[in-house]
Order: sequence, then structure tokens, then C-alpha cells
Amino acid sequence: MSMIDSIMAGLALVGNVEALVSLAIGIVIGVIGGAIPGISATMAVALTLPFTFPMQPINGILLLLGVYKGGIFGGSIPAILIKTPGTPASSATVLDGHPMAAKGEAGRALGMALWASCTADLISNLSLILLAGWLASFALSFGPPEFFALILFSLTIIAGVSGESLLRGALAALLGLLLATIGLDLVYGTNRFTFGHPNLMGGLNFIAVLIGLFAIPEVINMVWHPTGHMGKVQTLGNKWVTFAEYKRCFRSIVRGSFIGVFLGSIPGIGAAPAAFLSYSEARRKSPNKANFGKGEIEGVAASEAGNNGVAGATLIPLLALGVPGDVITAIIIGAFMVHGLQPGPMMFVMNVDIIYGLFIGLIFSSGLLFIVGGLAIRGFKPVADIPKRILMPIVLVLCIYGVFAVNNSIFDVAVMFVMGWVGFVMTRYHIPAAPFLIAFILGPLLEDNFRKSMLMSGGAPDILLRGPITWFFWALTLLAVVAIARGTLDKAREKS
Amino acid sequence: MSKRAIQLQLGIGACAACLFLILYAIPYWISAPSNIRNIVLSPRFWPYAIAGLTGLVGLGMLFANRKPDEDDAPVNDPIEDPGAGLIRLAGMAVLMAVTFWLLPRIGMVWAAMLAFAALAFLVRTRHPKTALICALVVPLLLYGFFAHVAGVAIPQGDYVRLP
Repeated sequence: MSMIDSIMAGLALVGNVEALVSLAIGIVIGVIGGAIPGISATMAVALTLPFTFPMQPINGILLLLGVYKGGIFGGSIPAILIKTPGTPASSATVLDGHPMAAKGEAGRALGMALWASCTADLISNLSLILLAGWLASFALSFGPPEFFALILFSLTIIAGVSGESLLRGALAALLGLLLATIGLDLVYGTNRFTFGHPNLMGGLNFIAVLIGLFAIPEVINMVWHPTGHMGKVQTLGNKWVTFAEYKRCFRSIVRGSFIGVFLGSIPGIGAAPAAFLSYSEARRKSPNKANFGKGEIEGVAASEAGNNGVAGATLIPLLALGVPGDVITAIIIGAFMVHGLQPGPMMFVMNVDIIYGLFIGLIFSSGLLFIVGGLAIRGFKPVADIPKRILMPIVLVLCIYGVFAVNNSIFDVAVMFVMGWVGFVMTRYHIPAAPFLIAFILGPLLEDNFRKSMLMSGGAPDILLRGPITWFFWALTLLAVVAIARGTLDKAREKS
Repeated sequence: MSKRAIQLQLGIGACAACLFLILYAIPYWISAPSNIRNIVLSPRFWPYAIAGLTGLVGLGMLFANRKPDEDDAPVNDPIEDPGAGLIRLAGMAVLMAVTFWLLPRIGMVWAAMLAFAALAFLVRTRHPKTALICALVVPLLLYGFFAHVAGVAIPQGDYVRLP
């Protein structure tokens, strides 16, 4: 199929009202979810996932991508108005956004956040379109040893940079890998931790685990500390962002977008580090350096560009390699699986219409985000006023229905409840959930590729180093471990 | 809990989990054919590798924790009354267990209504009337969507059946 044919096939899939409405609804849900502290973009995507079951695959995935993009922008609204980031990715936006709101310039800060977000989103989507196909065609030559080395590299990065400590990240990843071993053995079909229970033979349901891990701990947290969410909402003020201000910040926005694209395309790094790096680069290069942290509009632009630049780029490893770039794309992989699709290089061969449909939909999403975001800024007050102690019971009921609907299984509801407690304990012990979930998803793939490699070589481990691609990923893994360990040691030395 | 205490507990926990897995869980709870020629192809190999790495991470945590940390401040946000908090957590555990038990017996809609109301009460909502209305409406709306749009067979229970 030629490029033009692929684009036409994609257009045929998304060039209808249903697809655009799905995308728009997704963005609305995402902006609202991201704007409510405690819901976050991740939880919004997880809770929306079960509603995509009766939809066409492309519409369902577009809905979730809309939630993702809307959620990342939505997180900036409470970050600016109530000094509470709606998503971790918006933490850097608080630094200058809230001081601006305190000066009565919340409307100006939110306007800039929206413009920067949409620009970065567009740049990120274009990067995805340019890079994903190229990477996928390269990955078509991967065999089991190459995939094993790639997944190992991804897990190392995810474990190393997701939390405050490399060891806690590694522990989370190992727990995820261990949980993934439950079920029948991939080669011999023997029982592993199934206790003879038929519900455990297929392994734990991925959606029950992820909803349990990301939504239920918030409910339990609310039970533990029912008044921990109170905050004072600032007014929007009369000032609005001007085109001259956007032009002044444009360089920082573009730089931040590319930082987001670069960090987003590496599995595991995510939006928050990109936002902070973009912010610090903008501060370093800005003539208004001294004003950063006191309400500098360029600071808001840079951090929002950084976190939104990640949104499209995290789909590069997901679509091209089948490796989720962060937790949200790990959830989105669930939507692909539910609809019988397997992201990865083969998808560019087998389902190229869906790939191009997604690309076209993503381009539309930047424009829709601009419209929905503009309305959301003005309509935030009622969203902020939704009582959290009504919202959390709604979340609980949504989780019960959503998880049951995947397999019509009450057992899955029990798995979700148990995983909720696991997630709560992990939060209390500051163990990052992202490496746990991603290791749980990639665990069977990692083991499968390892055992296939061993079968190919008759048990000789040197197959894992069979060519330049495996050498490249092993070298990257080693480099990542050394860099992360060195960073941890330096931090410890600084403290002492 | 301070950072040091967390690290210590996690380190000990990881080492204990490693020993439990290697000495008991893997040999007894994973069955492997007896005629496997290569150890790396055994269904037990991967879990053993994970268990071993967990032990190493645990030891790493204990090793990293050997120096006393000057900053012994608690890392989690304090709450007003931890005792009441623990009682609420126990209440939440009971709520989940009862909901799970009720799901096949009275049906998902009614169980979800009860769970909603109980949770709103547990978190001491300041809007009891709104909570009550939502407890009735939200599960019914979700039933409407999942049963009639998505075609999911929502459990109806033994008593009151919905159309």
C-alpha cells in the first residue's frame, strides 16, 4: 500500500462525525478529569477505558487519546488556580502559574498554558507521524533476542527514573514481573501460582490490575484523609494573554515541545521531568530570568510545552515497538488489546489504516483541544466545586462496573479491590506504580522472548548478544544503570 | 514514617519475600515437567530469577540505609486523627468484602448503590442528600449503559431484576 493509499484508508476510518465526536468527548472528559485534583489524567483514561468496549476500535482509541491529551492540559487548571497540580505533569506549571493567579492574572496564565499546550501538542503529533513509521520499519527486523534487549532496556529506564529511588523503582518492576508470572506457563502449560483456581489460569486481568492500581488507591486515600483535598480557588481576573506575549514565549514553547518529544519517545521518562527540564532551560535562556518563580508567563509556557510535547511522542514506542512509553500509554495498550489489536511493528503492516486514522485524528485533536480548553478555563469553577466526597463513591462504582464489563467476571472485581490495597500501600511506601504496571504488561513479553531466544540457541546465552541491535540496547541498558546509580550516589554525597 | 524507616522495612520485606519465594512458593506452587533438559527453559527459572533479583534489591536497600539520615522527618502528610483513619480504612476493607459478597447475590446495581452510600458515609460527606440521590442514580445509569448499550450481562441477583 502506498503512502497516499494509507492516508486515504485512514481518512476513510476517521473522516466521519462519530470519530470526531469520540475525540471531542475524550478531550472534554480528559480536561475535566485532569482539572479535578485527585482524578488525574491517568485515572480518567483508566475509567474511560471500559466505555470504549462497544465502540469501533478506532473511535475507542481516539476517545482515550482525547482523554490523555485533555487530561495533560486539564491538569494545569488547578495547578494555576488552586496550587494543586491536577496531574503530576503539571507540577512545574505551579511554579509561575500560581503566583500569576495570586496577582489576579489567572486568566492570562491559563490562556498561555492553553496556547503553549496546543502548539506543543501539534509539534508532538507531527513528530509521532514522522518517526513512528520509520522506527517500525526498522523494528521489523527484530527477533526475540533484540526484543528481549529492548524490553529490558525499557524496564531499566522506567524503574530508574519513575520514582525517588532506583531501588524502589526496581522493586516495583520486580513485583510487576512476579505478578505477571501467575497463570499457565507459556511453553509447557503447567500451573504457576494458580492454586488450581480456573480464574487464575489465564493470569490476572490487566484492566483489573491497572484500575485497581490507579483509581482505587485514590478512593482509599480519601477514606484515610477525607479533608486532605481542600484548596482555595483563585478568580480568573480581567487580563488575558495576547498574541505579542505568545510570540515572545514562542522560542521557549518550541524548545519545550522538542524536549517533550525527545523525553517522551524514551520509554518511561514521562511528562513531569520534561516539564521541569523545559522550565529550567527557559529560565536559563530567558532575559527575564529573575522573574521566574514569581509569576513569569514564559515559565508557564515552557512547562506546559514540555508536558504536552510528551503526549504524542509517548505513542512512538507504543505504536512502533509495542512498548508503552508511560502509564497512560500502558492503559491505552489495553484498549488496543481489547479490540484485538497488537501495537508494534506488525501493526504498520496489518492495520495500516488504523495507524493512519490515528495520525489524522491526532492532528485534529490539537485544534479540538484549543476549543475545549478555552471553554474549560471559563467553566472550571463548577468542576472545582464538585464535592470530592461525592466524586470518590462515583469513582468506586465506575470501577466496579468497568472492571466487571471486561470479562463478565466478579473475580476481576476482587482482583481490582486487592490491587487497590496494594496500590495504597505502595503510595504510603513511596514505591512508584508506573514500573509495576509496565513490568506487569511487558513481563510475559520479556519472558517469552527470553525463552524463544533460548530455544533458538539450544540454551546458549550468547544469542542475547548476537548482533549490533542487541549490543546497542545492552550498551544503553548498562549506560542507564551507571547514570542512574551515579546520580543516586551523587545525591547521597550531597546530603552527607 | 521517615524515609529511613520506609527503606529499612522495604529492604527487610524484599529479603523475606525472596526467601519465601525461593524456599517455599516456587517449589510448591509452580509445577514443572521432570524431563526438562535445559534449566533456563523450566517454568521455574524466570520466577527464581525474579526472586533472586528481589533479594538483591532488598540487600541493596539495607546497604544504602546503613548510615543514619539526619533528616528523620515523616515523608507522608500527617492526618488529624490516625486512630480514626485506621478505623475508616478497616471500614473500607469491610465495605469491599461485603460488596464482593453481595454482587452475585443481590445484583450489581443494588450492591453498587449500597457501596456508594456506605462510602459517602465513611468519608463523612457534607452533602448527604446529594450522595443519596447519586447513590440511586449513578448505578442505574451505568446499568443502562453497560447492559443496553455495551451488551454486558450485568449480574441481576436473586431478588429484584431490572429490565
